[in-house]
Amino acid sequence: MFTRVIGAHPADWGHARRAMSSGTEETGRPGLRVIEPKLMPPRVHPGMLRRGRLLAALDGEGGTPLTVLNAAAGYGKTTLVRSWCIERPEAVIWITLDPADDDPARLWTHLATGVERLGQGLGRGALAALGTRGAPAEAAVDELMNGLVRHGRSVTVVVDDLHTVGSDASLRSIRHAIERLPANVRVLASTRSDPSIGLARLRARRSLVEIRARELAFTVEEAAQLLAHERIALSGDNVGLLVERTEGWPAGLYLAALWLRDLDDPNREVRAFAGSTRAVGDYLTDEVLTALAPDRRDFLLRTSVLGRFTPELCDAVLGRSDSAAVLGELAASNMFLVALDARGEWYRYHHLFGEVLQLEIGAEAAPELRRRAATWCTAHGLVEDAIEYAAAAGDAEMVAELLLEHHLQFIWGGRLEQLLGWIRWLPSELLVSHPLLPASAAAATAALARPEAEVQRLLAVAEQARRRRPELWSPYVEAGVEVTRAEAIQRGDVAAAVEHARRAVAAAWAGADMLTVGVLASLSQALFFAGDLDQSRKVAVDAVERPDAPDVTDGYVAALGLLALIDAEQGRSESAEAWARQAIAFAQQRFQANFWVASLAHLGLALVCASTDRLDEAEREALRGERLRRTAQPTVGHAHALLVLAQVRVARSRLSRGARDLQRAQRLIAGFPDPGRLPVIAAAVEHSLAATQATAGNREPIEEPSPAELAVLRGLAAGLSRREIGTQLYISLNTVKSHTRELYRKLGATSKAEAVARAEGLGLLEPSESPG
Amino acid sequence: MSPQVYRLVVNGELGPRYASAFTGMTVSSASGKTEITGAIIDQSHLHGLLQRIGSLGLTLYSVTPLDDGNGESGLHGDPAASS
Repeated sequence: MFTRVIGAHPADWGHARRAMSSGTEETGRPGLRVIEPKLMPPRVHPGMLRRGRLLAALDGEGGTPLTVLNAAAGYGKTTLVRSWCIERPEAVIWITLDPADDDPARLWTHLATGVERLGQGLGRGALAALGTRGAPAEAAVDELMNGLVRHGRSVTVVVDDLHTVGSDASLRSIRHAIERLPANVRVLASTRSDPSIGLARLRARRSLVEIRARELAFTVEEAAQLLAHERIALSGDNVGLLVERTEGWPAGLYLAALWLRDLDDPNREVRAFAGSTRAVGDYLTDEVLTALAPDRRDFLLRTSVLGRFTPELCDAVLGRSDSAAVLGELAASNMFLVALDARGEWYRYHHLFGEVLQLEIGAEAAPELRRRAATWCTAHGLVEDAIEYAAAAGDAEMVAELLLEHHLQFIWGGRLEQLLGWIRWLPSELLVSHPLLPASAAAATAALARPEAEVQRLLAVAEQARRRRPELWSPYVEAGVEVTRAEAIQRGDVAAAVEHARRAVAAAWAGADMLTVGVLASLSQALFFAGDLDQSRKVAVDAVERPDAPDVTDGYVAALGLLALIDAEQGRSESAEAWARQAIAFAQQRFQANFWVASLAHLGLALVCASTDRLDEAEREALRGERLRRTAQPTVGHAHALLVLAQVRVARSRLSRGARDLQRAQRLIAGFPDPGRLPVIAAAVEHSLAATQATAGNREPIEEPSPAELAVLRGLAAGLSRREIGTQLYISLNTVKSHTRELYRKLGATSKAEAVARAEGLGLLEPSESPG
Repeated sequence: MSPQVYRLVVNGELGPRYASAFTGMTVSSASGKTEITGAIIDQSHLHGLLQRIGSLGLTLYSVTPLDDGNGESGLHGDPAASS
């Protein structure tokens, strides 16, 4: 099975491309298909009561950005929101969340697809960001908010079942979005528990409306209306009894209506129900299920293992051919089967009812039904659903097989957390028999910038698998493992990075064509830091000249940026500028937010500008390049960016800042096992700093003002009084005075005007450079 | 954290179909309440059970850690007897 998978990679590529046409068409590379039913707003059954008071409550809060419907299962949250959306003119983006949305890339891919369908191009930036290695989910969220602003018209975004998401990463990205919601967007979220998205703060700012169980519960009048609609003749007292017994729980009342509508004496039955001590849901589900014909009941029980389903899937799982008719009939007569579209294609059970049904199916029958569902989903290109069913059936072999075949779609779609989640789920026995699995997990872990030890542990598992199954160690696996190792460049071991990148390139040539652009860019970068500029340039040219290069956004932009840097260093200003501008324009078109790989191009442009006397622009570009390169862990790339920034600032006579950048770079360099040619560049910057200091005779302040003193200085420059400065900074007037004295001393100034002028000359008044 | 025996009580008596809903736990009903008792290995196990209770539409009444073998009695003296 495994050999077939490896051998089939080039064909897979074609298969994935076709699949892409219905999915993430904007990312350039084939990701996973969008799960359409996740974006379908459930249909409202005609038997559902129109709840005027709640609809009005939703209307009345039009100015509030976020509305949360928070109540237990069966409180009619989804139905209410759906009814409201139908009655409103605004466009609606609907997403039903599920536990796999713990991977923020999956969650935002679906939301961005919804926005893209609102207007072509509106979700493109976000989708591209999601498929870009190293881009945080928040970057995609920012892109998406920009898209919504561009749309201009009012949009309602419904986030159903928010409680199913629990990961910090996803909740953080949702909080990030809520805080940046454009004025034309309103979010309605349903959940069974208070989500950790900063509700307390939103409450305090009155930016939140909450509708809870107390409001969602049926009143006696509403229950009477519901029963009248079903032509159930119940006395007023007994309606009251029913509401009391169910505590107004909507699911209970709908089940009661289903049960009572076929009974001769509903009044007697309600009194019996009121007198029983059984749980409400248990009692009513029992009555409803007992009343069904055995064949229908069996259909319900066996299909309940399916999360969402089409008639065709039911046919495949149950071995029958009339599922379309059965589903049509059940959906018309019962509220517990929810149609997701108008064509009778996708259905799901009401969550609560589905859960109860599953209790009866039994541990023996369920796995086989799920395995059949997995097979059907595989055949229909529903990769994620297939994996979910296979896992729920406990079939680790099948999960492994699906991951071997589709892992690249997860990686290219940015679904790294999701991929890692599945691989972690597999028994270790399977991992050590399939080198590709630990290898792809290592690549995903490295791309997520997880601690180095985790990457190394997975690489060790891959090596273990290699020893056990050497025949499965294909060029594809080799290229993936070696390029992951080449990320050693991040840790500051340049020689090792060159070595591993070379092996990755050799393996890619030998038989992993689709990895070639990425590994060439990696090698070019390693050679650049090692100081072999001619080789680095040659490799980068090879990368950008490949026809598939633009599909590999990160590799392509990196290679163009390296060409810009090298040509700038070697004095070919014109071509350097052209490469840099091409890289930046491409990155912006694919992914409008700042993209870390574009850092190289910004630095290249900075060098060109510095050499052609455009010093303002040079500093701006260098600063941009340096900011994009900042990471939690020290990297060679960041040290290099700091050196370029220092060099540009020295050229601009901003000596104190340049000296500080140089110092920061030198501190990083000292911690690297092999920093390549960075010490040489640092020495050159140091030399030109000393030379400029000497010729300019520029007296540098001996001491840098502290951040608190700088804050006071900015106030002085803005023309504020000392008292005003104190109020603004929450410090006493005396403190302002002592900071001012220190500033005068450090700047060698005797007046406010002199201090401000001197600070300006030293570049001390620029905006703060703190990241983020 | 070592396993700890918990007793979760939900409103209403549950029929036999719910026995399979809480595998590894003893489910017993009396006097309009149902007790779900068993060893909980850690906090996420406990949270998972609470979510399960919610997704089945049951109303949680109480959660109590039991000291092993201190003779804490159930709603009807001996929970095991009715299950």
